[in-house]
Amino acid sequence: MELIRVQFKVNGEQVDLSVKPYETLLETLRNRLELTGTKEGCGLGSCGACTVLLDGIPVRSCLLLTAEVNGREVTTIEGLKQGDKLHPLQEAFINHGAVQCGFCTPGMILTAKALLDRNPKPTRSEIIRAISSNICRCTGYKKIIEAIESVVQKGER
Amino acid sequence: MKLPKFLYFRPKTIEEALATFTAYDGNAVYLAGGTDLIPRMKLKLKKPTAVIDLKGIGELKNVRLEDHKVVIGPLVTLFELSKTPMIKERFPALFEALISTSCETLQMRGTIGGNILQDTRCLFYNQSEFWRKAKGACLKTGGERCHVTGAKECLSNYMSDTAPALLSLEASLKLVGIEGEREIPLKEIFTGNGIFPLSLRPGEILYQISIPNEPSKGGYEKLRLRGSIDYPLLGIALSGSAEKVKVAIGGIGPAPKVWEGKLEDLPSSMEKLSQEIKAIANTILDPLYRRHMIPVLSRRLAKRVFGN
Repeated sequence: MELIRVQFKVNGEQVDLSVKPYETLLETLRNRLELTGTKEGCGLGSCGACTVLLDGIPVRSCLLLTAEVNGREVTTIEGLKQGDKLHPLQEAFINHGAVQCGFCTPGMILTAKALLDRNPKPTRSEIIRAISSNICRCTGYKKIIEAIESVVQKGER
Repeated sequence: MKLPKFLYFRPKTIEEALATFTAYDGNAVYLAGGTDLIPRMKLKLKKPTAVIDLKGIGELKNVRLEDHKVVIGPLVTLFELSKTPMIKERFPALFEALISTSCETLQMRGTIGGNILQDTRCLFYNQSEFWRKAKGACLKTGGERCHVTGAKECLSNYMSDTAPALLSLEASLKLVGIEGEREIPLKEIFTGNGIFPLSLRPGEILYQISIPNEPSKGGYEKLRLRGSIDYPLLGIALSGSAEKVKVAIGGIGPAPKVWEGKLEDLPSSMEKLSQEIKAIANTILDPLYRRHMIPVLSRRLAKRVFGN
């Protein structure tokens, strides 16, 4: 099988890889780049656990071929912290108890980040609409919504 | 979940895409947003030799006003289209269908072309290869009989939200293929046969979608279990005026049904249509209930759009 050369940025760092044409971005992130913060849930695009940002837009990395991201910029949950300091959304999720098992958390935070980047002052219904893309099966959405709202109120992001 | 093996190509022109399709003797598929195709490949419902990614072709990505029509490139994402002021102002049925499709993240990836050209779905078809092997092949996967009815007719469901809206707006499609291009009314893309639901010729690429530029009243109602993310178990789009409304019903059976008439005739016509439409137990909701909801949702929609 012929390999495809792809060059793209992950969390600000340039990577240059030869990948199989049928390799998903999720597989590349987890298995080659050891960025295991991105989770595989359903593998079919329904649950949102594998959400990463592609040029700032949330995407299901399980539905994306790595070959498709050539020349693009990918952000995973590992790319949010600045130095030793967590991203305000990460801090807020901890402070509001918005993390229980944690499996949906990376996707949930990245979906929220994309929302705040395009709309810094979302209403509660806009927050709900955005995170409806991600399934949480244990924390419950209330604390997640409160965590995001606290970041909106403080004007951090 | 692993994808089957295939080769990947990213042509920059339509000609290059068609040549690649021909080179693989038709055993190739076109990739747009991938939100319908990739899951089907993961379930091994589709095992192409080559995947041809159309996203390198720039001319398929814009929305513009042309003479008396609005022309939409098939690679425009559902999210981008819903944020295009022209769409929201002129075609409320399409706008409502766009924002009710799947969830916001998938709207940002899924394209309008891919949404129209999606495959039909069934509880007995959209399952893993392992599951399907245990059950044996259904009609759509090459078997002798439908698992639900035992008959030789496939009534898998066409579950695009946007296509009924586009049908109510009398949209047409321009297709470019190996043997040249053709323009057809959207309704002609549907065969009514759940095994091969679309009348695309081998290698044909959807080049543009056109809607007559006549501002309309309208809306879209969708029956689903989860408001957050779901395929329609019934979807009703309505566009027009009180003198002449066009209604399209999707989510039941392999092709949307279209009805046109006066608003006052809508309730009785929808009652009649709900009696005639073929619905079987191939979704998570009871077929009788789905049929019953046709007059209910259409009345609700008409009331919302035109008032009492």
